[in-house]
Amino acid sequence: MTSHREPDEQLKHARALYLAPKPQTKPEPVAYIEQTRSRYDGLGYPPYQWFEADDIGELAPISKRLSESRLGLISSAGTYVTGQTAFFYKDDASIREISSSAVLADLRFSHIMENYLVEAWQDPGVLFPIEALQRLEQQGVIGSLADNFISCMGGIYSQRKVINELIPAIEAAVEQQELDLLLLVPL
Amino acid sequence: MSLIARHFEKKGLPTLILGSAFDILKAGMPPRGLFLNYPLGFETGKPFDKKNQFEVVESALAIFESFEQPGIKTIEYEWQAGWEMTLERARAEGEDSRSPRDTTPKYQNAEDKRLAEMKINN
Repeated sequence: MTSHREPDEQLKHARALYLAPKPQTKPEPVAYIEQTRSRYDGLGYPPYQWFEADDIGELAPISKRLSESRLGLISSAGTYVTGQTAFFYKDDASIREISSSAVLADLRFSHIMENYLVEAWQDPGVLFPIEALQRLEQQGVIGSLADNFISCMGGIYSQRKVINELIPAIEAAVEQQELDLLLLVPL
Repeated sequence: MSLIARHFEKKGLPTLILGSAFDILKAGMPPRGLFLNYPLGFETGKPFDKKNQFEVVESALAIFESFEQPGIKTIEYEWQAGWEMTLERARAEGEDSRSPRDTTPKYQNAEDKRLAEMKINN
Protein backbone atom coordinates (compact mmCIF):
# COMPACT_ATOMS: atom_id res chain seq x y z
CA MET A 1 0.00 0.00 0.00
CA THR A 2 1.34 3.44 -0.85
CA SER A 3 1.34 5.96 1.94
CA HIS A 4 -1.02 8.85 1.55
CA ARG A 5 -0.46 12.23 3.13
CA GLU A 6 -2.54 15.37 3.13
CA PRO A 7 -0.85 18.30 1.28
CA ASP A 8 0.07 20.22 4.47
CA GLU A 9 1.47 17.15 6.06
CA GLN A 10 3.33 16.28 2.87
CA LEU A 11 4.97 19.71 2.80
CA LYS A 12 5.96 19.42 6.44
CA HIS A 13 7.41 16.03 5.77
CA ALA A 14 9.42 17.31 2.78
CA ARG A 15 10.71 20.31 4.74
CA ALA A 16 11.86 18.05 7.54
CA LEU A 17 13.84 15.91 5.12
CA TYR A 18 15.34 18.84 3.25
CA LEU A 19 18.79 19.59 4.62
CA ALA A 20 19.29 23.36 4.89
CA PRO A 21 21.16 24.24 8.08
CA LYS A 22 21.27 27.89 9.07
CA PRO A 23 24.34 29.54 7.49
CA GLN A 24 27.10 30.39 9.99
CA THR A 25 28.47 33.24 7.88
CA LYS A 26 28.01 36.91 8.81
CA PRO A 27 25.72 38.84 8.55
CA GLU A 28 22.51 36.88 9.13
CA PRO A 29 20.90 35.95 5.82
CA VAL A 30 18.65 38.78 4.60
CA ALA A 31 14.90 38.02 4.70
CA TYR A 32 14.28 38.90 1.06
CA ILE A 33 10.82 37.37 0.78
CA GLU A 34 9.51 39.32 3.76
CA GLN A 35 11.27 42.51 2.65
CA THR A 36 9.91 42.35 -0.88
CA ARG A 37 6.40 41.50 0.25
CA SER A 38 6.15 44.53 2.48
CA ARG A 39 7.82 46.80 -0.09
CA TYR A 40 5.51 45.73 -2.93
CA ASP A 41 2.59 46.08 -0.60
CA GLY A 42 3.66 49.62 0.31
CA LEU A 43 4.01 50.53 -3.36
CA GLY A 44 0.66 49.00 -4.25
CA TYR A 45 2.12 46.27 -6.50
CA PRO A 46 0.51 42.88 -6.71
CA PRO A 47 2.39 40.41 -4.49
CA TYR A 48 5.18 38.43 -6.11
CA GLN A 49 4.86 34.72 -5.57
CA TRP A 50 8.13 32.83 -5.30
CA PHE A 51 8.08 29.25 -6.30
CA GLU A 52 7.49 27.10 -3.26
CA ALA A 53 8.17 23.40 -3.54
CA ASP A 54 5.85 20.93 -1.85
CA ASP A 55 7.95 17.79 -2.11
CA ILE A 56 11.61 17.08 -1.58
CA GLY A 57 12.42 16.44 -5.24
CA GLU A 58 15.23 14.17 -6.25
CA LEU A 59 18.95 14.13 -6.93
CA ALA A 60 20.04 12.97 -10.36
CA PRO A 61 23.08 10.72 -10.03
CA ILE A 62 26.44 12.26 -10.94
CA SER A 63 28.08 9.84 -13.34
CA LYS A 64 31.34 11.61 -14.22
CA ARG A 65 34.01 13.62 -12.46
CA LEU A 66 34.00 17.37 -13.00
CA SER A 67 37.24 17.07 -15.00
CA GLU A 68 35.44 14.78 -17.46
CA SER A 69 32.13 16.61 -17.47
CA ARG A 70 30.56 19.01 -19.89
CA LEU A 71 29.14 21.92 -17.94
CA GLY A 72 26.30 24.24 -18.88
CA LEU A 73 25.25 27.53 -17.32
CA ILE A 74 21.89 29.24 -16.93
CA SER A 75 21.68 32.79 -15.62
CA SER A 76 18.40 34.49 -14.76
CA ALA A 77 19.98 37.94 -14.63
CA GLY A 78 18.64 38.89 -18.07
CA THR A 79 22.10 38.57 -19.60
CA TYR A 80 22.52 39.31 -23.30
CA VAL A 81 25.44 39.93 -25.63
CA THR A 82 25.71 43.29 -27.34
CA GLY A 83 23.98 42.91 -30.71
CA GLN A 84 21.24 40.65 -29.28
CA THR A 85 17.78 41.93 -28.42
CA ALA A 86 17.58 42.85 -24.73
CA PHE A 87 14.94 41.43 -22.40
CA PHE A 88 11.82 43.35 -21.46
CA TYR A 89 10.41 43.64 -17.95
CA LYS A 90 6.86 42.32 -18.20
CA ASP A 91 7.05 38.55 -17.88
CA ASP A 92 9.59 38.01 -20.65
CA ALA A 93 9.80 34.22 -20.97
CA SER A 94 12.32 34.19 -23.83
CA ILE A 95 15.93 33.04 -23.64
CA ARG A 96 19.25 34.13 -25.13
CA GLU A 97 22.03 31.75 -26.02
CA ILE A 98 25.45 33.11 -25.20
CA SER A 99 28.56 31.54 -26.66
CA SER A 100 30.78 30.16 -23.90
CA SER A 101 33.71 31.76 -25.72
CA ALA A 102 32.09 35.21 -25.60
CA VAL A 103 34.15 38.10 -24.28
CA LEU A 104 33.24 39.38 -20.82
CA ALA A 105 33.16 43.00 -21.97
CA ASP A 106 30.40 42.20 -24.51
CA LEU A 107 27.96 40.98 -21.84
CA ARG A 108 25.00 43.14 -20.82
CA PHE A 109 22.10 42.82 -18.40
CA SER A 110 18.46 43.83 -18.52
CA HIS A 111 16.60 42.82 -15.39
CA ILE A 112 13.72 44.31 -13.44
CA MET A 113 15.90 44.57 -10.34
CA GLU A 114 18.03 47.38 -11.75
CA ASN A 115 19.21 48.32 -8.27
CA TYR A 116 21.19 45.12 -8.16
CA LEU A 117 22.88 45.59 -11.52
CA VAL A 118 24.94 48.72 -10.84
CA GLU A 119 28.21 46.78 -10.53
CA ALA A 120 27.27 44.03 -13.01
CA TRP A 121 26.92 46.69 -15.71
CA GLN A 122 30.57 47.58 -15.02
CA ASP A 123 31.87 44.06 -14.39
CA PRO A 124 29.59 41.28 -15.74
CA GLY A 125 31.73 38.68 -13.91
CA VAL A 126 29.78 39.33 -10.68
CA LEU A 127 26.71 37.59 -12.14
CA PHE A 128 27.79 35.73 -15.26
CA PRO A 129 30.97 33.78 -14.47
CA ILE A 130 32.15 33.35 -18.03
CA GLU A 131 35.83 34.15 -17.39
CA ALA A 132 36.05 31.95 -14.30
CA LEU A 133 34.50 29.05 -16.25
CA GLN A 134 36.78 29.62 -19.25
CA ARG A 135 39.80 29.51 -16.93
CA LEU A 136 38.59 26.39 -15.14
CA GLU A 137 38.19 24.68 -18.50
CA GLN A 138 41.69 25.75 -19.59
CA GLN A 139 43.13 24.38 -16.35
CA GLY A 140 41.35 21.07 -16.87
CA VAL A 141 39.25 21.43 -13.70
CA ILE A 142 36.12 21.27 -15.89
CA GLY A 143 36.15 18.76 -18.77
CA SER A 144 34.49 21.09 -21.24
CA LEU A 145 31.98 23.90 -21.45
CA ALA A 146 28.68 23.86 -23.33
CA ASP A 147 29.04 25.66 -26.67
CA ASN A 148 26.29 27.99 -25.57
CA PHE A 149 25.28 29.20 -22.15
CA ILE A 150 21.68 30.23 -21.58
CA SER A 151 20.18 33.31 -20.03
CA CYS A 152 16.66 34.27 -19.12
CA MET A 153 14.79 36.80 -17.08
CA GLY A 154 14.12 36.38 -13.37
CA GLY A 155 11.20 37.84 -11.45
CA ILE A 156 8.55 36.51 -13.84
CA TYR A 157 5.18 36.90 -12.18
CA SER A 158 3.45 34.17 -14.12
CA GLN A 159 4.50 30.67 -13.03
CA ARG A 160 2.30 29.40 -15.85
CA LYS A 161 4.58 31.23 -18.31
CA VAL A 162 7.65 29.80 -16.61
CA ILE A 163 6.29 26.28 -16.91
CA ASN A 164 4.67 26.51 -20.35
CA GLU A 165 7.11 28.79 -22.16
CA LEU A 166 10.39 29.35 -20.35
CA ILE A 167 11.22 25.81 -19.27
CA PRO A 168 10.46 24.26 -22.70
CA ALA A 169 12.65 26.92 -24.36
CA ILE A 170 15.49 26.25 -21.93
CA GLU A 171 15.02 22.52 -22.31
CA ALA A 172 15.28 22.68 -26.10
CA ALA A 173 18.49 24.71 -25.79
CA VAL A 174 19.96 22.45 -23.09
CA GLU A 175 19.22 19.28 -25.08
CA GLN A 176 21.53 20.40 -27.87
CA GLN A 177 24.43 20.84 -25.46
CA GLU A 178 24.78 17.21 -24.25
CA LEU A 179 25.52 18.29 -20.71
CA ASP A 180 26.67 16.31 -17.67
CA LEU A 181 26.23 19.14 -15.16
CA LEU A 182 24.29 22.37 -15.08
CA LEU A 183 25.20 25.42 -13.01
CA LEU A 184 22.37 27.87 -12.30
CA VAL A 185 22.92 31.43 -11.16
CA PRO A 186 19.73 33.27 -10.22
CA LEU A 187 19.02 36.94 -9.78
CA MET B 1 15.33 28.90 -10.68
CA SER B 2 14.53 26.15 -8.17
CA LEU B 3 11.68 25.08 -10.43
CA ILE B 4 14.13 24.78 -13.32
CA ALA B 5 16.68 22.89 -11.20
CA ARG B 6 14.09 20.40 -10.00
CA HIS B 7 12.87 19.90 -13.56
CA PHE B 8 16.32 18.99 -14.89
CA GLU B 9 17.29 16.81 -11.92
CA LYS B 10 14.12 14.84 -12.43
CA LYS B 11 15.16 14.29 -16.04
CA GLY B 12 18.58 13.03 -14.91
CA LEU B 13 20.75 16.13 -15.27
CA PRO B 14 22.49 17.17 -12.02
CA THR B 15 22.22 20.89 -11.25
CA LEU B 16 23.72 23.29 -8.76
CA ILE B 17 22.11 26.63 -7.89
CA LEU B 18 24.55 29.22 -6.62
CA GLY B 19 22.42 31.88 -4.96
CA SER B 20 22.57 34.68 -2.41
CA ALA B 21 19.00 34.68 -1.10
CA PHE B 22 18.85 31.91 1.49
CA ASP B 23 15.12 32.22 2.17
CA ILE B 24 14.17 32.14 -1.52
CA LEU B 25 16.38 29.10 -2.06
CA LYS B 26 14.89 27.37 0.95
CA ALA B 27 11.32 27.99 -0.23
CA GLY B 28 12.10 26.41 -3.60
CA MET B 29 14.01 23.43 -2.16
CA PRO B 30 16.39 22.98 -5.09
CA PRO B 31 18.02 19.53 -5.16
CA ARG B 32 21.50 21.06 -4.82
CA GLY B 33 21.55 24.60 -3.49
CA LEU B 34 24.61 26.58 -2.55
CA PHE B 35 24.34 29.80 -0.56
CA LEU B 36 26.90 32.60 -0.91
CA ASN B 37 26.31 35.28 1.72
CA TYR B 38 27.04 38.27 -0.51
CA PRO B 39 24.51 41.01 -1.30
CA LEU B 40 22.23 40.22 -4.24
CA GLY B 41 23.87 41.04 -7.54
CA PHE B 42 27.20 39.40 -6.67
CA GLU B 43 26.30 35.72 -6.88
CA THR B 44 29.58 34.91 -8.61
CA GLY B 45 31.93 37.24 -6.74
CA LYS B 46 33.12 40.72 -5.97
CA PRO B 47 33.31 43.39 -8.70
CA PHE B 48 36.70 43.93 -10.35
CA ASP B 49 38.11 41.04 -8.34
CA LYS B 50 38.82 38.24 -10.77
CA LYS B 51 40.59 36.21 -8.10
CA ASN B 52 37.55 36.20 -5.83
CA GLN B 53 35.21 35.46 -8.75
CA PHE B 54 37.40 32.52 -9.74
CA GLU B 55 37.56 31.19 -6.20
CA VAL B 56 33.80 31.44 -5.69
CA VAL B 57 33.05 29.50 -8.88
CA GLU B 58 35.83 26.98 -8.26
CA SER B 59 34.65 26.24 -4.71
CA ALA B 60 31.03 26.05 -5.85
CA LEU B 61 31.85 23.43 -8.47
CA ALA B 62 33.99 21.49 -5.99
CA ILE B 63 30.90 21.08 -3.80
CA PHE B 64 28.78 19.74 -6.68
CA GLU B 65 29.65 16.10 -6.05
CA SER B 66 29.27 16.23 -2.27
CA PHE B 67 25.46 16.21 -2.02
CA GLU B 68 24.09 12.98 -0.63
CA GLN B 69 20.55 14.28 -0.25
CA PRO B 70 18.65 17.37 -1.41
CA GLY B 71 19.54 20.52 0.50
CA ILE B 72 21.41 23.81 0.72
CA LYS B 73 25.06 24.12 1.69
CA THR B 74 26.85 27.35 2.49
CA ILE B 75 30.02 28.49 0.80
CA GLU B 76 32.18 30.04 3.51
CA TYR B 77 32.84 33.53 2.20
CA GLU B 78 32.06 36.81 3.95
CA TRP B 79 32.20 40.32 2.55
CA GLN B 80 31.51 43.05 5.09
CA ALA B 81 32.58 45.86 2.75
CA GLY B 82 30.08 44.65 0.17
CA TRP B 83 27.21 44.95 2.63
CA GLU B 84 28.29 48.47 3.52
CA MET B 85 28.56 49.36 -0.15
CA THR B 86 25.00 48.24 -0.84
CA LEU B 87 23.44 49.66 2.31
CA GLU B 88 22.46 52.87 0.57
CA ARG B 89 20.82 50.86 -2.18
CA ALA B 90 18.74 48.90 0.29
CA ARG B 91 17.54 52.15 1.86
CA ALA B 92 16.52 53.63 -1.49
CA GLU B 93 14.33 50.63 -2.16
CA GLY B 94 11.39 52.09 -0.33
CA GLU B 95 10.97 54.46 -3.23
CA ASP B 96 9.73 53.25 -6.55
CA SER B 97 12.69 53.79 -8.80
CA ARG B 98 12.01 50.85 -11.06
CA SER B 99 11.42 51.13 -14.77
CA PRO B 100 7.89 50.25 -15.87
CA ARG B 101 7.04 46.61 -16.51
CA ASP B 102 6.25 46.64 -20.20
CA THR B 103 7.24 44.72 -23.31
CA THR B 104 9.84 47.14 -24.67
CA PRO B 105 13.36 45.64 -24.59
CA LYS B 106 15.47 47.41 -21.96
CA TYR B 107 18.93 47.94 -23.40
CA GLN B 108 21.88 48.65 -21.18
CA ASN B 109 22.91 51.43 -23.55
CA ALA B 110 21.86 53.17 -26.77
CA GLU B 111 24.59 51.50 -28.84
CA ASP B 112 23.25 48.03 -27.93
CA LYS B 113 19.81 49.14 -29.10
CA ARG B 114 21.19 50.42 -32.38
CA LEU B 115 23.17 47.21 -33.04
CA ALA B 116 20.24 44.92 -32.20
CA GLU B 117 17.76 46.88 -34.31
CA MET B 118 20.17 46.95 -37.23
CA LYS B 119 20.36 43.15 -37.05
CA ILE B 120 16.57 42.78 -36.99
CA ASN B 121 16.10 45.12 -39.93
CA ASN B 122 18.60 43.30 -42.13
